Amino acid sequence: MANEVKKMRKDAYNCEECVIVPPADIYETAEEFVIKADMPGIRREDLDITLEKNQLDIYGRVDQALTNEENLKYGEYRLHNYHRTFVVGDGIDREKINATLDNGVLTLTLPKSEKLKPRRIEIKAEA
Amino acid sequence: MYTTYDVFDEMVHLRDLVDRFFTEAPGLRRNVEYPYVNLKENNDEVIITSLLPGVKADSLNIQLIDNSLVLEGEKKSDVQDKPYIRKERVFGRFQKAVRLPYRVDGDKIEAVLKDGILTVKLAKAEEARPKKIEIR
Repeated sequence: MANEVKKMRKDAYNCEECVIVPPADIYETAEEFVIKADMPGIRREDLDITLEKNQLDIYGRVDQALTNEENLKYGEYRLHNYHRTFVVGDGIDREKINATLDNGVLTLTLPKSEKLKPRRIEIKAEA
Repeated sequence: MYTTYDVFDEMVHLRDLVDRFFTEAPGLRRNVEYPYVNLKENNDEVIITSLLPGVKADSLNIQLIDNSLVLEGEKKSDVQDKPYIRKERVFGRFQKAVRLPYRVDGDKIEAVLKDGILTVKLAKAEEARPKKIEIR
C-alpha cells in the first residue's frame, strides 16, 4: 500500500501534462489593466497568448534544455510549461493588447475600451 | 469583515490537500530558501541554475566563499501605486549559500542571467576531476 501511494505520488509528480500556474499581479489604471507574471525560462517565441470570448489564455512552452534533468545532483525546482487563464470583461480594447517580456517577467497591458474610461461628469447649472 | 461557514470551502480545502500530497515531492519547496537552485554535474564542471525572474544582473551579486557559492541580491519591487486586483508575486532581498560538492577553480567561473534563469558554470579544481588509472 505504502509503495503504491509512493508510486502514485511519483507518477503525478513526473506527469508530462503538468503545468505551472505562474504567480501574477494585476492592477488597474485609468486607461488600462496591467498583468505581470513571473515566468522564468520563457522566451518570446515560447509564448502563446490568446483571447477567445472573454478568456485570456497564457501558455508558455518551456524549452527542453531547461527541463532536462540529466546529471542532476541536487534539485529544488522543476520546470513545466506555464499555463494560466484569466477571465476578462467586455470593456477591453482587443486590438490594442500589448505583451512584453523582461527577464522572465511577462507584462500584459489590456487597454480599456472608450466606454469604460473614466469620464468627468459635467454638472449643468440650473437655468 | 465576517465570514460565513461554507461546506464547499471545506471540500475545496480537502481537495487541495490531496492534490498537494500527490504533486509535491517530499523535501521539495519545503523549508527551502529563495531562490530555488538546481545543481548539475559533469566530468569537468558543476552547473548551478536558479530561478530569478525579474532580477536584473546589476542587482545580483555572486561570490565564491570557501566551498560555497553565495547568491545575494534583490528582486526589486515593481509595485505601482494603483489599485491591485491580484497580488501574488513577492519581492525583496535574498541571500543564499549553496554548498558545492567539489573544490572548484575560482578563476574559471562563468555566470549568465537569461530570461530570468541564472546559470553559473564552475570548473572543477584539478584535484576534483576524474582521473583514469592505468592498470599495469
